[in-house]
Amino acid sequence: MKRLFVILALSTLPCIAQSDSQWVLDSSTLSYHVSHPLHEVDGISHAALGKGVCHAGQCSFLVAAQVKSFFSGDSNRDLHMIQVTQGAQFPIVSVRLHLPEAALSSPTIDCDLEIHFAGQTANYQHLAFQQTVQGNVHRITGTIPSTLTDFKITPPSFFTVALRNEMPVKVELTWHSL
Amino acid sequence: MQKEDRKIMSFRKEQRTSTIVISIAILLIVMASTLSSSAQSADASLPDAPALKLLASNTDQAQQNQAPPPAPSANPPQPSSDSQKQLSLGDLGLTPDQVKGNAKGQALLDKRTRMLKDHQRLGLLTTIPLAATLFASAGAPCNHNCGPSTGADLHAALGSVTVGMYAATAYFAIAAPKIPGTEKKGAIRWHEALAFIHGPGMVLTPILGAMALKQQNAGEKVHGIAAAHSAVALTTATAYGASIIAVSWPIKIKFWEHK
Repeated sequence: MKRLFVILALSTLPCIAQSDSQWVLDSSTLSYHVSHPLHEVDGISHAALGKGVCHAGQCSFLVAAQVKSFFSGDSNRDLHMIQVTQGAQFPIVSVRLHLPEAALSSPTIDCDLEIHFAGQTANYQHLAFQQTVQGNVHRITGTIPSTLTDFKITPPSFFTVALRNEMPVKVELTWHSL
Repeated sequence: MQKEDRKIMSFRKEQRTSTIVISIAILLIVMASTLSSSAQSADASLPDAPALKLLASNTDQAQQNQAPPPAPSANPPQPSSDSQKQLSLGDLGLTPDQVKGNAKGQALLDKRTRMLKDHQRLGLLTTIPLAATLFASAGAPCNHNCGPSTGADLHAALGSVTVGMYAATAYFAIAAPKIPGTEKKGAIRWHEALAFIHGPGMVLTPILGAMALKQQNAGEKVHGIAAAHSAVALTTATAYGASIIAVSWPIKIKFWEHK
């Protein structure tokens, strides 16, 4: 009798584990930082949208924001940013990542990102993001060490001096599962 | 008899338990498979990466418009084994209009940036004759025995160059395409507001300067409205300098420590 129970219980477990789950992005802060001898500029967007789908123990996430949603404190500079990143031609910056479902409960998430921006795709391997979980809500923070050359962006210049190549992007995302 | 009854009772109990366990297991299997299939059907109904298709179609449009050719990596990523589960921008609620590229808009932005770069370069270069004019102004006015003087002529010549270069600088700012729907925010507002001071100043200063020169060449001391030439020029130059600082604001104080 017990054997029968164990066999039946084991046979049902994979079915339960493979059931799909979805994740929705509640709030977000994405901020890029660029540096110039005369300036330090941070452009911030709170307008990212995101979704995640888990299936068979693997999760896929997609986060996207409109390039024009980033505000650096100066509308003129933002228009130049949109121009130099071809933001009218490629108006969306999107990030894709795939994770094992088990990683969604660990305090540090190691993942590979695929970023589409400025008409280019850049891949970042083994980026570490911190995660805090409060009930159903997961808060993810971290930094993507992107550079202008990753996306073939010609560094814009100000007073004839070019911007630094580094363009780290800070990420703060709050997700909840459905 | 009692032993047989007990046996029968225990057999029935086992039968009941096993029936319950089997029914629970069947229920769980049915529930799990229903959930899985409903999610799969939901995914199947999702559109296939419309954003990437739109970007690709826009690439064609950009090529037709002779815009710079987009990079090859703008193409959709290689389909993976789980491509059927790949989320698309449409799944996030982004409309095709939001993800569609705009080659004309990009061309407008490119033109704007080109013209404003010229504006910036010329504006910076204009500071050279402007500063020289201000220095030369020291030798321009006469205190006694007024008449034609080299100092005044040099000052006037440098002033003319300044005004000419300023006019060219202003042209590139005024003629640069405006981007519809853009609300001006930040330092650019100060930069533009100050133009309402140095703009009229750059018109008035040479007029007053010409009047002053004429009076001086006639052997007169500068008088009347022409006497305001230096004050107007100084205000104009100050507003011009402030305008350059405003558009650069906030300036990193220790910029020489930049690595």
